[in-house]
Amino acid sequence: MKRISFIVLSIFFIQTNFLAQDMPAMKRINGGDFVPLYGSNEARVSVETFLLDIYPVTNEQYLSFLKTNPKWQKSKVISLFADKNYLSKWENDLSPNKEALPNSPITNISWYAAKAYCDCIGKRLPTMDEWEYVAMASETKRNAQRDSLFNQRIIESYETPQTYKKEVGSTYKNYWGIYDMHGLVWEWTSDFNSVLISGESRKDVDTDKSLFCAGGSVNATDLMDYAAFMRYAFRGSIKANYCIQSLGFRCAKSLKK
Amino acid sequence: MTRLNLNTTDIIKGVLSFLFFTALFLSCESNATPENSSQKIDASEIAVQGEMTAELTAPPKVPKPIGSRAATKLIVDMEILEKEEEMTDGVTYVYWTFGGSVPGSFIRTRIGDEVEFTLKNHPDNKLPHNIDLHAVTGPGGGATSSFVAPGHQTTFSFKALNPGLYVYHCATAPVGMHIANGMYGLILVEPAGGLPEVDREYYVMQGDFYTKGENGEQGLQAFDMKKAVDEDADYVVFNGKVGSLTGDNAITAEVGETVRLFVGNGGPNLVSSFHVIGEIFDKVNVEGGDMINKDVQTTLVPAGGSAIVEFKVDVPGTFILVDHSIFRAFNKGALGMLTVSGPENASVYSGKQQEGIYQPEGGTIQEMPDEGLVNKSPTKALTLTEKMKLGKTVYDKTCLACHQPTGRGITAAFPPLAKSDYLNEDVDRAIGVVVNGKSGEITVNGEKYNNIMPKQVLSDREVASVMTYIYNSWENNKTEVSESDVARVRNSH
Amino acid sequence: MRRNKLSFFLFLSFLFFIASCHQETHDTLPYQCPMKCEGEKIYSEKGTCPVCNMDTQPIEEKILQSENEDEILETSIFNLTSKWNTQNKETIELKDLKGDVLVIVMIYTSCKAACPRLVADMRNIYASVNDKTTKYILVSIDPETDTPERLKEFAIENQMDNNQWVFLQGTVEDVREFSNVLAVKYKRISPLDFSHSNIISVFDQQGVLVHQQEGLGVDNEETIAEIMALSKAVQEVN
Repeated sequence: MKRISFIVLSIFFIQTNFLAQDMPAMKRINGGDFVPLYGSNEARVSVETFLLDIYPVTNEQYLSFLKTNPKWQKSKVISLFADKNYLSKWENDLSPNKEALPNSPITNISWYAAKAYCDCIGKRLPTMDEWEYVAMASETKRNAQRDSLFNQRIIESYETPQTYKKEVGSTYKNYWGIYDMHGLVWEWTSDFNSVLISGESRKDVDTDKSLFCAGGSVNATDLMDYAAFMRYAFRGSIKANYCIQSLGFRCAKSLKK
Repeated sequence: MTRLNLNTTDIIKGVLSFLFFTALFLSCESNATPENSSQKIDASEIAVQGEMTAELTAPPKVPKPIGSRAATKLIVDMEILEKEEEMTDGVTYVYWTFGGSVPGSFIRTRIGDEVEFTLKNHPDNKLPHNIDLHAVTGPGGGATSSFVAPGHQTTFSFKALNPGLYVYHCATAPVGMHIANGMYGLILVEPAGGLPEVDREYYVMQGDFYTKGENGEQGLQAFDMKKAVDEDADYVVFNGKVGSLTGDNAITAEVGETVRLFVGNGGPNLVSSFHVIGEIFDKVNVEGGDMINKDVQTTLVPAGGSAIVEFKVDVPGTFILVDHSIFRAFNKGALGMLTVSGPENASVYSGKQQEGIYQPEGGTIQEMPDEGLVNKSPTKALTLTEKMKLGKTVYDKTCLACHQPTGRGITAAFPPLAKSDYLNEDVDRAIGVVVNGKSGEITVNGEKYNNIMPKQVLSDREVASVMTYIYNSWENNKTEVSESDVARVRNSH
Repeated sequence: MRRNKLSFFLFLSFLFFIASCHQETHDTLPYQCPMKCEGEKIYSEKGTCPVCNMDTQPIEEKILQSENEDEILETSIFNLTSKWNTQNKETIELKDLKGDVLVIVMIYTSCKAACPRLVADMRNIYASVNDKTTKYILVSIDPETDTPERLKEFAIENQMDNNQWVFLQGTVEDVREFSNVLAVKYKRISPLDFSHSNIISVFDQQGVLVHQQEGLGVDNEETIAEIMALSKAVQEVN
């Protein structure tokens, strides 16, 4: 009896301990409506309340994932799931890129790898709408889409070279308590391939009826949101097996209903 | 009689065969004509022979002419680089480039060539890009097929169907920003047999830039979206930066040579009124196409368009390339130089000056109120090195146009500052000329000058620096001018 | 407390055990032409190379990777472990389709825009190829609406109801993953409608992508030729 209660207790302890380690790394994002650059037929979309990692996943964190999931190591990953740039600056399977810090965001990983990482810790990649919803918050405002200074600052950070070498947490903390939504790395989202653009921006003012079967047309909602144009163009240019130096990820989690 | 008959027959035979050969010759000629006339050939039918790798050049250089080569499979390999470079002294900008330069590498091809184009997006780059070549006949000019993420590359092919000088540029959203950051260049499609031979060929392309700080504000300057949308340019420049074609970077020619400029305009916003001061374009391929206009002073180069201008240089000197929307040239950087060396030719240009003073009543030189400038007293005196640096910047901006890059002036018009007795004799007098202006006759190094030097609206610090720079350059007496010297002269006036 | 710590570590390692995502393995060795006349192409059974007529030989260990993933090539879609429901209410994995040429398109059955034309393209290709082995696979991008029952009705309506036609319903996540393998883009734009790429993809018997036809109203000829070449190559070997 004593033994059993000990086990029960210890499981309880461990679980809270596990949660204690895990939970502070995420923040609750209260759901709401917003207008993304590319929405649905009705421009406004809604996002349910969910949890999001405070920081992008780091080199160090990814390294420990590789130790327990060898199939995602550089020498073992299969080409369906990652192109040749996968962990391209890693010297070998378990020695990370020396140009970046252990606490810098992991980059040169594919969508499949990012998804596997999140799956394995019981999380998932955020959807594009979720990501955009959080990314429109400035330090003080939940929605800073119309704040021209905020937008100018984002554009500047997108132009700055080599930002993937910075440590996570080195940019601003936004309204939700989330860091590094802009200014560090691009981030994978679960449905990044829902950007229906051809890359020919002048044609993309209308959906190409030949390339895309569409029940309606999906147009950009704000022609002045250059930062968003840059993000969506980036998403439109990539495929799930691409590994890019300026592209990392963070995980999200749905709340139990 | 028989003999005569024979002779007659011979003559007739001779004449006939002459006519026959002449006809043959003529028919050869008329067969040859369509080869050279682009209208009569369906360029898509031109067969290609072999393959070659295209020579790509950074401005102001252009690749070798195609000459008489046949149409071929031309392999173009271009890398996109995002990199920080100098815009002007002390100002840098993160340029996005085709091939590492602004404008991007010059591509030279001929009608009928099958161009196999590989676009590589360097892994260090942060953004996706593509290329729209105006020389391409096809949707997006190649933009859709060439859309490429960082660390990746893409290949597509097209056939050059129309001769002419074409702009290429990036068309990724937001397209204006990609162009504003320098993503444009020129591709030349030569007709069969090539363009007529000339002595010199150069690549000049205008672009407008929008920076967070105003023109001249120091340090790394970010792209300013609002100014770009408002079409309010901080810099309008040739070949990507201020001074890319001045001083040591000036393009050159010898007297008697024919110069051909491949002129483009990347925009993104402004149309260029391209003019070379002191030259008349003998020949202009209007808008880079087939139509030739002659004896042109200023030609319009649309944003996303081009022109080919040709002129023979008859006299030596420095010829200034400008956008004749002239504030852009003097305040925003749209200025380049062509230095022509060789013997004078007095029958073309005398160089003689006969001048008097013409001052209608009340017609004194306009001056801006200089309040604020004088009083902006700096807290700490500059070192000699700092003065030399600031002085050069001021000189290039304020003095260079008249007194020339090496201070030699312009004969009979603007006195020399190099090895100048007038300057070295009296420092205060020299300062006075700068802060108060000067008119009337003076003698410098034995030559008489009678012109007007306007009062310069410069701060004490700027005057001290530029004077120090001048005194410590070009074999002058190395005087170091302090700000208090300037203030003293200014106040004694 | 010490014991407590120990059990904590035990529990953690247990978590890691669960967390590390293992893959199932198989044991049969694939065959390949020793001259590699057809590049990396492999066959599941011993035979002769259609190009040089030499006997095919089992592939060496190194190509197979240490994890013994047998005949699944690195670029094969059979590496996906997702499970799918068919219109006949069977549950399958993609690798169950191994051995046949696969022609795959992503649609949704309530689509009123371009999908009917894509479906017609598939039917045309099927009629022109006219073999008994090639599988024509329609994957729903709207798995919430397109249940196996709905897919079955659709198959019957569109005269696509024999064993060469396979309709697949997966989870929302697995459909997204599959679309990435095909480089198909799609987005829900209203509760009923999706916008999506019009792409028909052809995979060889090993699940490796060999051809894609993009756009509406394009010529099917090249696609048909690819399928016939693949289908024929296998028949000759067999």
